[in-house]
Amino acid sequence: MAELHIIGQIIGASGFPENSLFCKWGVHTGGAWRLLSGLKEGQTQVDLPQIGDMAYWSHPIDLHYATKGLQGWPKLHLQVWHQDSFGRCQLYGYGYCHVPSSPGHHRISCVTWRPLGSWQEQLAQIFVGGGPQLRSPDLIYSGADRYRLHTEAMGTVELELGIIMRHFDKYGVDS
Amino acid sequence: MLNLCSVTRKTVVDVLCGVVFQFPEYDNLYCKYCFVYGHDWAPTSGLEEGITQITCKGSQSSHKLIWNFPLETTFKSTNPSGWPQLVVSVYGPDVFGNDIVRGYGATHIPFTPGQHTRTIPMFVPEPTWRLQKFTSWLLGRRPEYTDPKVVAQGEGREVTRVRSQGFVTVSFHIMTKDMKKLGYDTGPSSPRNTQSATSGWSTEEQP
Repeated sequence: MAELHIIGQIIGASGFPENSLFCKWGVHTGGAWRLLSGLKEGQTQVDLPQIGDMAYWSHPIDLHYATKGLQGWPKLHLQVWHQDSFGRCQLYGYGYCHVPSSPGHHRISCVTWRPLGSWQEQLAQIFVGGGPQLRSPDLIYSGADRYRLHTEAMGTVELELGIIMRHFDKYGVDS
Repeated sequence: MLNLCSVTRKTVVDVLCGVVFQFPEYDNLYCKYCFVYGHDWAPTSGLEEGITQITCKGSQSSHKLIWNFPLETTFKSTNPSGWPQLVVSVYGPDVFGNDIVRGYGATHIPFTPGQHTRTIPMFVPEPTWRLQKFTSWLLGRRPEYTDPKVVAQGEGREVTRVRSQGFVTVSFHIMTKDMKKLGYDTGPSSPRNTQSATSGWSTEEQP
């Protein structure tokens, strides 16, 4: 079996309307993949930056997968939320990126989007916050039924992922 | 098929570092560092933790505080999981002279041989209530982590609120041994001519 190590961190996010942000993240793989160690989902702390626009989380990721096939290569999906001073949480964006397929250090900028409601919902969102959310987070990393969605662009999440691969060359995979 | 359990696996990671930092609002800071690693790792030489000197901003470059602190550590392991992280905590005096925490941060030690520079964002836990914020400022008792190693973990973070307020720059020189022999492909080594490192800390890079 080939093995894959994903060692890195979710650095932070920028380009969102407000700064007090946190992120819920998870890694989704196909059926041939088995998680040997590490947590494949989590939630970062809430960060309110004092200098600049970027919220920093430095959330560590350390995953060890074993696999029998390349299908279902791991995908990292993210939800960026905003927490205001009253403790209320509001969705700011969904995003996903594939885990890099070549070994080494990678710096990734994951763009995010948010569902757009009707004009009444948008008006209400300006005053009281909230807004439409996906019922099931599967849509973040799958393409089925996306055509029904109308979304708006939001900020960017920065990640630094290091990939270590083992025994992929024995199975004939070039990297 | 090779039975990996009967082969002694050894991956040695040498870490040589120097440290510079940028904290725009604070001065007279010192730093405590330690390494956090998984169950399969063990340090074989060098110190696992330490404290730097207290430094203040120079008259020439008013935004930089420099420690130039040496780190030399070697680890061995049977498994890349739990790859070591460097945890850094910065402390300094407040207006009343109390020693308080100015930031925590952590970064994974790079795993490709060569020279790497990492800029670690530093954050402090935030008090929940405004009144608590005022009393902690007055009495000099800010929220702190009981064990700074918590910063290197992902669990339990969802309940904490923090404020990021500075950066620490660390320069690594990494050497590994026997990674390829055991079948691990860590990608290309880092390029030789990256800026800074050998003499002086003239890295003007803005994070």
